[in-house]
Amino acid sequence: MLKYLVKRIAVALFTVWVTTVAVSMLIHVVPGDPVRIMYAQSQGTTPQQLEQIRHRLGLDRPLVVQYGMYVNRLVHGDWGTTIRGEQPVLGLLLGRFPNTLLLAASSLLIAAVIGLTTGFIAAYRRNTWVDTSTMVGAIVGASLPQFWLGLILLFFFVVQLQWFPVAGSGWRNLVLPALTLGLSNAAIIARLTRSSMVDVFSQDFMRTAWSKGLPKALVLFRHALRAGLVPVVTMMGMQFTYMMGGAIVVENVFSWNGVGRLAIQAITQRDYPVIQGFILMFAVIVATVSVVLDLLYAWLDPRVRYG
Amino acid sequence: MRKGMTLAVAGLAAWIAAGTVAHAKDIVWARDGDIDSLDPQRATSTLSRQLWYQIYDSLLEFDDSGKVVPNLARSWTVSDGGKTVTFKLHDGIKCADGTPFNADDVVFTARRALDDEHPSLTKTSWGPIEKVEKVDDLTVRFDLSRPFAAFVPFMADQFTGMICDSMKDEDGFGTTAAVGTGPWRFKSWTKGSEIVLERNPHYHNYGRPVSNDGPPKADRLIVRTMPEGQTRLAGLQTGQISIAVPPIENVRDVRSNDSLKLYVARRTGQNMFLEFAISRPPFNDERARKAVAEAINVPVALKLVFGDLVQRERCPISRGVLGNDEDFCAKYDPHYNPADAKKLLSDMGYGPDNPMHIVMMTWVGDARGKLLQVFQNMLSQVGIKAEIQVMDIGTLNARVKQENDTKSGPGTLDHDARVSAVHDVAKYLLSHAVHVPIYTPGWLWLYAANDDLKGFKIGPFNRPLFNDAHFE
Repeated sequence: MLKYLVKRIAVALFTVWVTTVAVSMLIHVVPGDPVRIMYAQSQGTTPQQLEQIRHRLGLDRPLVVQYGMYVNRLVHGDWGTTIRGEQPVLGLLLGRFPNTLLLAASSLLIAAVIGLTTGFIAAYRRNTWVDTSTMVGAIVGASLPQFWLGLILLFFFVVQLQWFPVAGSGWRNLVLPALTLGLSNAAIIARLTRSSMVDVFSQDFMRTAWSKGLPKALVLFRHALRAGLVPVVTMMGMQFTYMMGGAIVVENVFSWNGVGRLAIQAITQRDYPVIQGFILMFAVIVATVSVVLDLLYAWLDPRVRYG
Repeated sequence: MRKGMTLAVAGLAAWIAAGTVAHAKDIVWARDGDIDSLDPQRATSTLSRQLWYQIYDSLLEFDDSGKVVPNLARSWTVSDGGKTVTFKLHDGIKCADGTPFNADDVVFTARRALDDEHPSLTKTSWGPIEKVEKVDDLTVRFDLSRPFAAFVPFMADQFTGMICDSMKDEDGFGTTAAVGTGPWRFKSWTKGSEIVLERNPHYHNYGRPVSNDGPPKADRLIVRTMPEGQTRLAGLQTGQISIAVPPIENVRDVRSNDSLKLYVARRTGQNMFLEFAISRPPFNDERARKAVAEAINVPVALKLVFGDLVQRERCPISRGVLGNDEDFCAKYDPHYNPADAKKLLSDMGYGPDNPMHIVMMTWVGDARGKLLQVFQNMLSQVGIKAEIQVMDIGTLNARVKQENDTKSGPGTLDHDARVSAVHDVAKYLLSHAVHVPIYTPGWLWLYAANDDLKGFKIGPFNRPLFNDAHFE
């Protein structure tokens, strides 16, 4: 198990290292002079200022030196400053990270509770009206654009009922964006859970469990659900990393101050230090979630542990 | 474990309490984006400038007609053939932190802007300043290497907002701290979310075009970032937002709602126009530019897209700025004449089987894309196939910069000579169709407010004034 864990962590660290190389070279992918493009909106920037910026970013040095400088700054907690406003990038990202984490975790919780429950019931009541209606609901849920669903919830709960504030960062502001994201993702989880559980219910070990006369709850939740969760956990991991990258549409509708909005704003403003920081942070999140998922697989399926 | 649990509970409580709760006497202003910096020397966006205007004052101000008037400086004199400008400050001005504001603060602000190592982003606009000296506590002298006529009006700009020198050693200035002499005192900035300002009890108005000369009437001004227009509208409808930038497609809803009021900024200094890539075909040929200018029926297009929200602009220089003369410009601005446009294109060898292909670019928002669609249709009537590209402002600026070459010449302080020079340039740009004026204002010029918010005013150059704003 330890060997397995070390291997997975090594792969994750390698992924992050490759990302640092890619991110440090990102600025050179842009055609033309990156500094001129970055400062295109600063009408009064003098040529001397542009030279100073080029020197400060190390862009007048060889690529290897630039990479060394970049990594050195990273490990010293200097992720650069924004081009617009000269704000520290790491502070900006860390300031928004808790909001994104909170929204992603809450949404995943809602999605998991609704998706796993309905998917499991649909599989257990396969080919009945419960199964049909649940899956129709899941298809509708997966098809609803988040933008539309978010606005409908906003107008109903905020404008009509006035139950929630329109913007802010307290728990009452979290409910609607989490529900919007959670409902969309619950539909996908429900469909996957159903198909996975239908497959598990027809397996030999399930027939054995039933024939041994084990209690129903034990058979369903310990034997069946645990075996059927492996593909669902993979999907939930992907959904979580996607949401950690920023659910831009939902963040915009509910003015939720997450990293996604920051990243989009940085892209539209050509604010490369922020884009670099975002990609790097996202790589760390993906690598971390991958390690956690690998551990979960090992817990759910012993063959992974000893394979 | 118990300690960990306590910390977790404390963290949760702190988060639940997060977000500023607006009180009855707070004005909540929702905008589609955030500022870049609290430091008026570190950014250039309109969103930032409008916020700085609440925190900082400049030496001079603009009155309602756009004329430069005294503000922190009670007078100014230009001497030595325009190479020396001396400002006399009002006595008794206080910064928002209670420290006195005097010549030291002016010198600190100016030297900071002109610093060789880390100058203001608008350093070039300050002009050829050689020296900034404190003459006495209430007098500051600027020495220039040559006369620079734009210097005095620039001292009324938000880019020259006066920073109190109590910020001299403050590391967080621009991010977590800001002190000026403006009507509002900075309290907090949650980046991407909200900025909280509170009434500056030391404030005295010396030049802003408002009737209240004391501190603002409201307790706080909370500036919220809400990127989605429909959400801002929902906030207005529920009364959680006092004033907001409305989605342009919902202006009719705002007007028809008795509890909301629409404000339209005039004399913003902004104007929208067509400019061409004149260094390469087809627009290096004047006939191609004129064909485009004569193919578009600007008044009809504006009526279709904006209704009465904008005004037709005829000059390359905005209304309210020296040299703008709509009647003069109208004489040289190419008029709608599709028959002549077709003839010009035919002379260039274009025709129904060989249409002229062009690309029109603009940036997202404020119905600019829609306007280009109307132009696209008009251009197709004369045989010009136009492709539309709507992009972010950063990309557009970068693309435009690639095409342009900036030139400047000697200036003059003589008023008549300056107007004459501006007219000469306008005449050239218009008669050669290098610049085709379309409309004014350009962006962020609409405000929707709750009807019970009284006293809100938009000053010249799109400066929101909340000094008199209060609820009834």
